[in-house]
Amino acid sequence: MPASWPSPSLHAGLTVLKGLLPRSPDLSRSALSEEMARLGFMAILLTGLGLLFFIPLFTAREAYPAIFSGDGLWAFLISNTWEPLSNPPKYGILHAWLSTLIITGLSLAFAVPVGFGIGIFSMEIAPPAIRTILQPCMELLAGIPSVVYGFFGYVTVVFWFEAHWGMPTGESLLAAALILSVMILPFIASTSGEAFRAVPHDLKEAALALGVTRWHMVRRIVLPKAASGMFAAVALGLARALGETLAVLILAGNSVAVPHSVLDRGQPLTALIATELGEAGVDSPKYHALFAAALVLMVVVISINTLVWTLKRRIIQHEV
Amino acid sequence: MLSGKLFWELWADRLFTLASWILGGLGLFLPVSIVGFLIYRGVQAISWSFLVDAPKGFPLGLEGGIRPAIEGSLALIALGLAIAVPFGVGGAIYLSEYGASSSWERMARFAAECLAAIPSIIYGLFGYSFLVVYMSLKISLVAGGITLGLLMFPLILIGAHEAMQAVDRAYRESALSLGVSRLYVARRIILTKAWPGIVAATVLAAGHAVGSAAPVLFTASVIFSRGGLDLTAPVMTLPTHLYYLVSEASSPEQTYGTAVILIIGLLLSNSVATLAKGWKQ
Repeated sequence: MPASWPSPSLHAGLTVLKGLLPRSPDLSRSALSEEMARLGFMAILLTGLGLLFFIPLFTAREAYPAIFSGDGLWAFLISNTWEPLSNPPKYGILHAWLSTLIITGLSLAFAVPVGFGIGIFSMEIAPPAIRTILQPCMELLAGIPSVVYGFFGYVTVVFWFEAHWGMPTGESLLAAALILSVMILPFIASTSGEAFRAVPHDLKEAALALGVTRWHMVRRIVLPKAASGMFAAVALGLARALGETLAVLILAGNSVAVPHSVLDRGQPLTALIATELGEAGVDSPKYHALFAAALVLMVVVISINTLVWTLKRRIIQHEV
Repeated sequence: MLSGKLFWELWADRLFTLASWILGGLGLFLPVSIVGFLIYRGVQAISWSFLVDAPKGFPLGLEGGIRPAIEGSLALIALGLAIAVPFGVGGAIYLSEYGASSSWERMARFAAECLAAIPSIIYGLFGYSFLVVYMSLKISLVAGGITLGLLMFPLILIGAHEAMQAVDRAYRESALSLGVSRLYVARRIILTKAWPGIVAATVLAAGHAVGSAAPVLFTASVIFSRGGLDLTAPVMTLPTHLYYLVSEASSPEQTYGTAVILIIGLLLSNSVATLAKGWKQ
């Protein structure tokens, strides 16, 4: 400010005015639009992520009557069976979560060893040419729609069970688990593969330079270093398996009886929801029971996901 | 002469190599044989009339084609993308370019990954109870489209965020140091560099959504429609039509044909995604 201004008060007044007025109209407009853009993008993100709170809250609200006003949580989960036609109707989901447990347990037992094997193969053993075709093959396997897997299982596994094992209907927990294990295989293979790749190269090379065999190096260095990533892979596969619907709906047999063996028919939680929702009147006890079943599923899946998240962060920290 | 321990060590190594080759081979054999089997059995069902006719016969789907199902699936996915892409990409821009702190960014990513992990049947249940019943949209194209949009949103958000994170920091920082606005950086640098990754994530999310029957089973689909699209009317979709044909179990040829169309869609979306990922300017 030049010193020759007429009076200090005018000077002060002008300074205030100058603060209020934009120094250059162009710059301030861009500052304003910048702020608008920031707020706009933030609003978009918050709206989207608000779903994470809204979906569980809404589900919990609809599930509330089934859990708290009926015979209670214990009856819903354990002691009641699914008998919508009895008098009074009973809605327990023991058969459903038992079926889910058996199917996911079996499919993990099939898919985990094979998935780890594919992960190790693609990172340590496979020549580059095979590695480059293995990756799209896994993506293909991961992309096949659930209903197509269900159909495929129906014409292969179920048919085979009927033809060779003399089962009256081949639909069974085992059939569903076999197909489900193929469905979760690519997720286990790629997640564990990432963990194997994250093991530092110098460790591997130092071991090999000492003259130990490749298996010795994998067993003593790669597997211990990748353990948390392998665990994350299993958890991810489990979360996938729990949520699959159409394949198990087609293959598990959709029976509300409590399953006693792997060759019994069953009805996992997802299949229960898909089967009954169409016939459940809005606000009926059955409707609320289905939401309670969904809530159980969602709580389990989100907990598993939280576990995976924590483990993944630990892997990344290892890498640094 | 090898000592006993070394002898076993060498054999264990051979066994390990053999086993991992067998498992790796299984990893190649499974997808190729599943897709090959379905295409081999289904390819004769596919003809021009299969693609352009409506289902006919009794039980329904015994003859005729699947045109209304193809139309319905495409319309649902277009509507879903119209919702999920702006939200997913916009949210990713905020996270990657404006996000205040890294802990806030981590929390948002965590929320997105939880959303992505929620089973698709729960999206269907939510869509049914909230959109179809509570908002009284009825079972309709618009309810199903919104449900699929919700399903795809976290997938696109995560994919777009990863693609934007992969853009070299030097570009961002040198642009900002020249004094341009963040909006300009997002538009002219981040989107220009990251669009192949965003396209790949979008195509994969769409491919996943188009094949899932669970979210549309109770929000959008009917067993039969004559075709013609109306936002407030239900539509046929490919995966639910396949499910219906499987449960009817009366027309194997049509069933294989429908499965093959879904597989072809998958192959298309996977190839587009792979091409986009490999895109270099």
